Amino acid sequence: MAGLILDERDQRFVLYEMLDIEKVCETPMFADFSKDMFDMVLSEAQKLATDEIFPILTDGDKEGCRLENGQVYVPKVFHKCYQIYCEGGWIAMSEPPEVGGQGLPVVMSTSSREWFMHNFAFIAYPGLTEGAAHLIEVYGTEEQKKKYMEKMYTGQWAGTMALTEPNAGSDVGNTVTKAIRQPDGTFKLQGTKIFITAGDHDLTENIIHPVLARIEGDPPGTKGISLFIVPKYIVNEDGSLGKRNDYEIAKTEEKMGIHGSSTCLINFGDNNECYAELLGEERKGMRIMFQMMNEARLGVGMQGLASASIAYMHALQYAKERLQGSSLENFKDPTAPRVPIIQHPDVRRMLLWMKSQVDGMRALIYYTAYCIDKEQTIEDEAEKEKWEGILEVLTPICKAYCSDIGFRVTETAIQVYGGYGYCSEYPVEQIMRDEKIASIYEGTNGIQALDLVGRKLGMKKGTYFMNLLGEMNATIAKYKDYPELKDLADDVQAAVNSLADVGMFFAKCGKEGKFLIPVGNAYPFLMMMGKVVLGWLLLWQAGIAKDKLDALCKEKGVDPADKAKLNEFIKDNKDAAFYTGKTMSTKYFIKNILPEVDGDVKAIKSEDMSIMEIPEESFAS
Amino acid sequence: MNTVVCMKQVPDTETLIKINAEGTGIVTEGVKWVMGPYDEYGVEEALQQKEKFKAGKVTIVSLGPDRAIEAIRTGLAMGADTAVHINDAAFYEKADPYATASALAAAIKDLEYDVIFCGKQAIDDDSGQVPAILGELLGLPVITQVIKLEVADDKSKATVTREVEGGHAIIDVPLPAILTAQKGLNEPRYASLPGIMKAKKKPVDVKTVADLGVSVEPMTVIKEMSLPPARQAGKIIEGEDAAEKAKALAKALHEEAKLI
Repeated sequence: MAGLILDERDQRFVLYEMLDIEKVCETPMFADFSKDMFDMVLSEAQKLATDEIFPILTDGDKEGCRLENGQVYVPKVFHKCYQIYCEGGWIAMSEPPEVGGQGLPVVMSTSSREWFMHNFAFIAYPGLTEGAAHLIEVYGTEEQKKKYMEKMYTGQWAGTMALTEPNAGSDVGNTVTKAIRQPDGTFKLQGTKIFITAGDHDLTENIIHPVLARIEGDPPGTKGISLFIVPKYIVNEDGSLGKRNDYEIAKTEEKMGIHGSSTCLINFGDNNECYAELLGEERKGMRIMFQMMNEARLGVGMQGLASASIAYMHALQYAKERLQGSSLENFKDPTAPRVPIIQHPDVRRMLLWMKSQVDGMRALIYYTAYCIDKEQTIEDEAEKEKWEGILEVLTPICKAYCSDIGFRVTETAIQVYGGYGYCSEYPVEQIMRDEKIASIYEGTNGIQALDLVGRKLGMKKGTYFMNLLGEMNATIAKYKDYPELKDLADDVQAAVNSLADVGMFFAKCGKEGKFLIPVGNAYPFLMMMGKVVLGWLLLWQAGIAKDKLDALCKEKGVDPADKAKLNEFIKDNKDAAFYTGKTMSTKYFIKNILPEVDGDVKAIKSEDMSIMEIPEESFAS
Repeated sequence: MNTVVCMKQVPDTETLIKINAEGTGIVTEGVKWVMGPYDEYGVEEALQQKEKFKAGKVTIVSLGPDRAIEAIRTGLAMGADTAVHINDAAFYEKADPYATASALAAAIKDLEYDVIFCGKQAIDDDSGQVPAILGELLGLPVITQVIKLEVADDKSKATVTREVEGGHAIIDVPLPAILTAQKGLNEPRYASLPGIMKAKKKPVDVKTVADLGVSVEPMTVIKEMSLPPARQAGKIIEGEDAAEKAKALAKALHEEAKLI
């Protein structure tokens, strides 16, 4: 159904009214851009999503991928869409024009991509291609860039990222794939990689795999890992395709969702002839790969947001149309007219819960993407580092909070649909299945939590974390004198204080050698921090919405204190309805979801370590 | 091959339309505006012809207020070369098909063209008259509802397939001519990101109606505009048996619905 992917008004609100991204056009880097161009990009993304990418969601799921004679075939409907996507220049949206990109700010490529990400099975192919090409752009030799990167940014060739092995998933340091040095400076690879997304397909004539492996003789652990480029077809001097490289697609996984995405088991070098080129320096593979992984982590957070958004939009539409039961006033009268289920309090509760989470996650993802643009355009070194630091701290929250809450929003959408939601006649069950993977791949959410608590909180002696708290406090200070927002601002302030307090508590535990407390509570802490961050961003939105609604009322001569008049105005004026929705979403979040932080703090500070105390024998009899 | 495409910016088909307080038009606030879908076929066809002949220029001509520039830029982003924006809100406000065609004719007459494409109709007022009046004013043949176009190599004539009731008519027409695009003519392309970047730098000639030397007054005035009546609840015809129900139905159709 058209128009049910995301709320375009909210998208523009976050970009222009909240983040004020037009400001980047004043910097030399983005001087060629303007708001009307951004609008055109977003409109075109919407068109592409509505007319091409969303319509193939169901077919992609039903047809899935098949492996035949060592070659994977993607759903037929993906071919035309992939071609349009590449021709439109969507792969390299934020890459510099010198390498064939469009040079858009990251916040613009991110927001454009939100239109596409609900069909993750499809978008994985061009998405991974961009990530892999970007690795070569940053770390490759001039020759490698010419040979591989250019063709990848146009989509002529595709890319992947091959990290995971049967015994090296979360424990990537355990990588055993072996690289054998050759006299000509190239390498030969031997080993097995699993769960390789887009590992093989028939969308492009060649596929370039960045593969993690250990050069023979290098030390164990992450410090001994290097990164290699392994092409499906070895590229001749003149750029033409040579012989098929020595690796085999041994199987594709049967999965719960994203059926259109080919998830491959790849055996490299069964005949000792797997050609590989080193990418970047030896033994720096993990550091290099982290560039792609950090980008991909934001991407997976975006998948959570996009899935949540499309699920919410569908559930809302359904709730407005589906008649069931009578209104609350008439509940004793069996002949009373049936009403749309959106009139029932419990359905409204679910819808507003979904809306506030979706609004908050969109603000979080766009804000985080905008940190990258700020970091790139600001000249002042200290200021630059501040945005880089906030990006570091927020990345695991984007990934884990949005993937987990995104999943819960999709699940709630099914609940709104009732029995029909559980049936494949409606798209919400697929959206939920497709979304589940987001909490698992790209570093499980457990790993994200350890990254946050173990690395990010303490980075630069905690300065990055403190800087983020500083941004939150600045927003609170701005709105705490608004009579209508004071109460909400106070609640957010208390939550921010609790967050800072638990941060200190973890540091103290660390000093006292009680490492298990932060480690065991890393995930609850990440989710708690996610709630505080969303509370802050939503308060910020409510502040803007309040000012805008007041201005609108003044312009139209409506007294905002006169509730009846205001409601009439809202019925007639889309902007007034939108700003009111913002305020409500914020109020609901802060009054109904943010209080969970108190419980989280209590649980963490109880220092209860049942999870470690329980003997394994006692988990089940 | 040089072509001109007449394009109108119209409300998106999914926009909820409201009638203004005076009852003479629609509320334009809060409306999402897009390029007329039939005009979009015209733009695409012009681009395809240019690609086929590997030469020429595609010019978009549009009458509309400031906001029309968005649709013009979309056409330029699709690949059109230049545009004329007749930006005259006061004229546009009351322009009927005759006034619109007069303004377009004045803007087009000095341009170079082998074909002028129009959408078969704008999807807002649905009048479908502009191409015919434009043809009269410019002294050009007009072929409507075109679903296929083959231009002779020397561009002296074209073979055009148009949709007619229950079938197709194939017509030879000397060029230059005005062709109105019907669904089925082609599949309009998406504007690419490089296209969007380039569109900003393409020339748009902005003119008022006075600049064009047009001083016509509209010949028609909209007296009243109203939404279709809301659908009434259905009525179940009661009766003992089929014959009685049929009788009741006939009576209702005659007396209540006044259809028979």
